[in-house]
Amino acid sequence: MDLYPLYISAKLAVATTLFIPIVAAPTAYILAFCNFRGKSLIDAVVSLPMVLPPTVLGFGLLIVMGPQGPLGGFWKDLTGERMVFSFSGILLASLVYNLPFAVQPMRASFEKLDIRLLENSAVLGLSSTAAFFRVVLPNSLPGLAASAMLVFAHSLGEFGVILMVGGSIPGSTKVASIAIYEAVEAMRYDDAMYMSLAIIPVSFLALLAINRLNKISRRRL
Amino acid sequence: MKRISTFILTLLLALPLSASAADLLVGQAANFMPAMQEIIPAFKKASGLEVQATYTSTGKLFAQITNGAPFDLFLAADQRRPNKLFNSGFAEKPFIYAKGKVVFWSLDKKIADKSWQEAIKDRTLHKIAIANIETAPYGTAAMLALKKEKLWETVKPELVYAQSIAQAFQFASTGAADAGFCAYSSMFTETGKKGEFTVVKEAPPVIQAACILKSSQRKAVAEKFVAFLSSPEAVSIKKKYGYD
Repeated sequence: MDLYPLYISAKLAVATTLFIPIVAAPTAYILAFCNFRGKSLIDAVVSLPMVLPPTVLGFGLLIVMGPQGPLGGFWKDLTGERMVFSFSGILLASLVYNLPFAVQPMRASFEKLDIRLLENSAVLGLSSTAAFFRVVLPNSLPGLAASAMLVFAHSLGEFGVILMVGGSIPGSTKVASIAIYEAVEAMRYDDAMYMSLAIIPVSFLALLAINRLNKISRRRL
Repeated sequence: MKRISTFILTLLLALPLSASAADLLVGQAANFMPAMQEIIPAFKKASGLEVQATYTSTGKLFAQITNGAPFDLFLAADQRRPNKLFNSGFAEKPFIYAKGKVVFWSLDKKIADKSWQEAIKDRTLHKIAIANIETAPYGTAAMLALKKEKLWETVKPELVYAQSIAQAFQFASTGAADAGFCAYSSMFTETGKKGEFTVVKEAPPVIQAACILKSSQRKAVAEKFVAFLSSPEAVSIKKKYGYD
């Protein structure tokens, strides 16, 4: 059996989990602490990938990330590479798709913070950036960890979007879920079963960890 | 208000019923879709019977059928799967209903200026779509042509794999891939006409077989439709979409 798809799925899940806070943390912070016109609009846009059919999202990304698309064109000028059908491409798709799954738990844990902590730190002269790193982050760690685990588990099982923009290239974009799907179609049921058996315990452990972390963050209140 | 909501609810509940009130359910390999969409209304005109088709890859339909999908008729893109269903007692004896061709298609119209082999050797095409070589018969046929021309190893780094021949066409027609091995039948669609193609003569013809499923409760209608598939009217539709 070809083990590469499992490796690529793991690589994609780890990369998504590592990169997503760059976008998700500021977004969650803004949604939790700021009030401005059009906030609900941003909220809805961020949550959109959660409710859209993956095929719709995937098809949209295929166009946008294609060599003639705005994003794909920019990427091509920048790196000389094509964005769709590459690992960077499925990573970007995975980041977009996972954004709400990262933002929602983060935002919830930010909102649970005692506002007096922030007020105190302001009184004591911390800048808002310093307050974020020294007060907000340490106090919402369990929520952030839960968000990371959710993103990890979710991107491990990613299928629809990658099916649309990945091109199932062995060793580069053929993730486990797609390999399993193809194995079933080709009637290689054993392969499909072994790969599924490899994914189930990992996903299960991730979910257990999320529950555990949620409990911890509730207890802290 | 309550009346209106009751009315809407009843309507919603009744909807799926009326939608599935077809006289025949067909599992149809995706490549034949353009032709099938003309054959179905023609059949309705001739017989008054409603046919509903599900279009997806042969491999997926096969897996669905062996797991109890309620199709009456299976129109595959190969002979292997219908034969397999017949041998394992799921289906009646298969018959051939179409022979398809593989084409090399691109949005870039210059592609027709040279042979498909030269186009690949030029290495100006960076991504080339092909249907799954294991499960999609058109993918297998395209691979055989590439191997025959000793181009398989050359082209392999450029290949992107689609789940069905329809997706291969989608990759090429959105410009995400520079070209693709597609079904001849797609060339007669709106999108197909936007590009240019050359026929891959080196690929074996894709012989497409069909079979009536043993679990069907509507064999009489199925047989009627099967007979219609070889009527002059259906044959001319098939010809129009490039099937022999």
